[in-house]
Amino acid sequence: MTEQNKSLLTPEAVGNAQARISRLVAGLRQVLLGKEDTIDEVVAALLAHGHVLLEGLPGLGKTELVKALSRLLSLDFRRIQFTPDLLPTDITGSHILQERDGRKDFVFHQGPVFTNLLLADEINRASPKTQSALLEAMQERRVTTFGETRALPNPFFVLATQNPIELEGTYPLPEAQLDRFTFKVDISGVDRSVLEEILITRVHGEPPVLEPVINATQLQELFTLADAVFLPRAVANYIARLVASTHPNAPEAPVHVRNFVKYGSSPRGAIAIGAAARGLALLRGKPNVGFDEVRRIAGPALAHRLVLDYSAKLEGYNGRRIVAALLDDVPEVERGLPQTLEAR
Amino acid sequence: MNHLPAPVASMLRRLRRRLAIGVFLEVWPRWALGSLLTAGVVAIGCRLFAPGAASFLAWLWLAPVLAFIPAVFLSASRAYRPEEIAALADSMNGGQGTLLTVLEIQDPSWSNSRAITGLSQFPLPRLRVSRKLGAIVPAAAFLAIALMLPQRIPAAQNGVLANDIAADLQATLEALKKQEIITPAEDKEFQEEIERIRKDAIEKLDASSWEASDAMREKLAAKVAEKQDALKWAADSLAELAAAGDSDTSLSDAQAGELGTAIDKLSKAGLLANAPGDLQKLLGGKGAIAGGKTQLPRDPATLRKLAASLSKYLAGRSGELASIGQLGKDAGRFDPSEFPLFSNERGPDGDGDPGNGGINRGRGDADLTWGAESAMSDRFKSVPLPPGSYRSPDDWAPLAILPGAPKESPEQSIASSGVQYAGVTGQAAVRRTLAPRHYSAVKKYFENSK
Repeated sequence: MTEQNKSLLTPEAVGNAQARISRLVAGLRQVLLGKEDTIDEVVAALLAHGHVLLEGLPGLGKTELVKALSRLLSLDFRRIQFTPDLLPTDITGSHILQERDGRKDFVFHQGPVFTNLLLADEINRASPKTQSALLEAMQERRVTTFGETRALPNPFFVLATQNPIELEGTYPLPEAQLDRFTFKVDISGVDRSVLEEILITRVHGEPPVLEPVINATQLQELFTLADAVFLPRAVANYIARLVASTHPNAPEAPVHVRNFVKYGSSPRGAIAIGAAARGLALLRGKPNVGFDEVRRIAGPALAHRLVLDYSAKLEGYNGRRIVAALLDDVPEVERGLPQTLEAR
Repeated sequence: MNHLPAPVASMLRRLRRRLAIGVFLEVWPRWALGSLLTAGVVAIGCRLFAPGAASFLAWLWLAPVLAFIPAVFLSASRAYRPEEIAALADSMNGGQGTLLTVLEIQDPSWSNSRAITGLSQFPLPRLRVSRKLGAIVPAAAFLAIALMLPQRIPAAQNGVLANDIAADLQATLEALKKQEIITPAEDKEFQEEIERIRKDAIEKLDASSWEASDAMREKLAAKVAEKQDALKWAADSLAELAAAGDSDTSLSDAQAGELGTAIDKLSKAGLLANAPGDLQKLLGGKGAIAGGKTQLPRDPATLRKLAASLSKYLAGRSGELASIGQLGKDAGRFDPSEFPLFSNERGPDGDGDPGNGGINRGRGDADLTWGAESAMSDRFKSVPLPPGSYRSPDDWAPLAILPGAPKESPEQSIASSGVQYAGVTGQAAVRRTLAPRHYSAVKKYFENSK
């Protein structure tokens, strides 16, 4: 358990970090046009050591985004195309009987999970058994096979994609798996001007060639700086009230939560918001987290952690809409203005 | 706040003052409301039960001013803490969190950042007191109305009127007693009743008090009428006796019985209690009269003497009773003409006897006749009902079918559509039809899924 430092980052340190992150963001924006918000969310999750689940229709650039990220960060990158017949050992690796020095022995061959950046493409097409092979890797950053536990490289990120349509033959991710993703980022379609830009800048649709902008050492420094971003107690209180309000049985739960949510967010949701808000604050060049970062991060961090009631589906509510209502209902400051005062 | 720029610190102080005013205006109206309502209740209480406090009731308008004192103490205890003020300032200024951070860590390195300096200009929250103060207006109106209520004088006025009523009744009773018409037992009974009417009137003076008084007067009138009847009966008997003629002849049994009954009635009415001594002696003595055991003398001469003495005595008593009708008129509320018992005159509708027309109370010995009644033998005669018949549904035919009437559809009235298909194809689950009221829900479900 580490407690946050009671000292602020210097303006110079924050400025340098923001400059580096800006180069990363600029590179990603060259690949994924018109998706500034999505890029900010992915980078904030990255700075928070978090895993990201990207959900969107085919062809919107999910895979390209992850590939671009690996190129810009000069990290080791592996891609697994999840299929129904994929086995857990196809991910974690397995022991193979091998002759060495005239002696036969089981030798462990590492799977693709032993990498810095793992793209789990169409993760919901693999069976639950295979999906669960990622549980330990994502949470504890290690893999256990045949009773032997092996640490994964540092840093280790999983960026998974899934398609919200063509659901036949898919296995929706269980709640425990979803909870391990810091963010679930919804990638929506692009507007006409972006399409026009794509047509002009990319003849065959290939993304531009990118050069690494951040190496492993610099990335570790960014992680250290992101962890040093200060979270004021009032903002932490806001995060705690926000997450507590997602539970329908909580006294402070708003009416939408009581009506449409079966189970609220786990404490991982609060941790994810705090960590990702720190990353976003650093991205914005701030030494501290504010209410604004929390509001910006709450949607992708909480929406996939809510288990909704069937009535939510009937009424057209999804996780994002519930979180938006939650942000409207839960005041930033616990003790708001007196009723006789009105903010202008 | 020393490491904050001066304009920001000044702005935070202004926000603190604004919040303090806001808290006070949140607290005080409730106390003012409560104090005004309490003052209103006190005013009503004083108007009803404390006439002496009437001159001090205007001071109740100071109640909301007095409510200032607890409101100030309560507001002070609920004052915003510095970190709460900083959080509100930060939230109202975009939620950057930098002010919170600087105040929490006391690090001056970011004190001049744009996020901090921007706090020197943000708009303070606006006071909205109209809704809170608006609740005081009805309470103030309540107090005003309570103060405008007329002062009630509770028991004194009732007492005067109740005594008036009792005095009137007492005067009537005294007049009757003076003329020796009322026996001591009756006097006691009437005194108790007058006292009861007086007490009831003091407790609650309304129409029922006057009605009780009138009932009492009617009762007195009935009592006098009863005595008058007894006198009349005796006078008739004596007149019949006088008409019988010779004093030497003995009285018939009927005449003697009639005279005996008359004397009994006079005795029971207490009219013989003050009769002359010789008359009392002829009737068997004072004890016999009081006990209602008078005996007529058997000797015709003595009987004639008794009749003569009784006639003389009754002549004097009749004069006294004749003036009794004036008693009610003296009271002012009792008109004896309303009570035919006091009237010896025949009304325009006849003499009041059965068969002679007119409206009267009837006589106890009159026959009870109810008009045309069936003969005794016909009263329980059985009457057969007409024969019944079963009605067939075919006898009914619709006259018209209104628009919107339910349509007959026997095919769809099977209990379950699942049952309908279950026996035929074994695909009940997939061919189960959907109730129309569920169409919209399912349609919405799949539309949203897309």
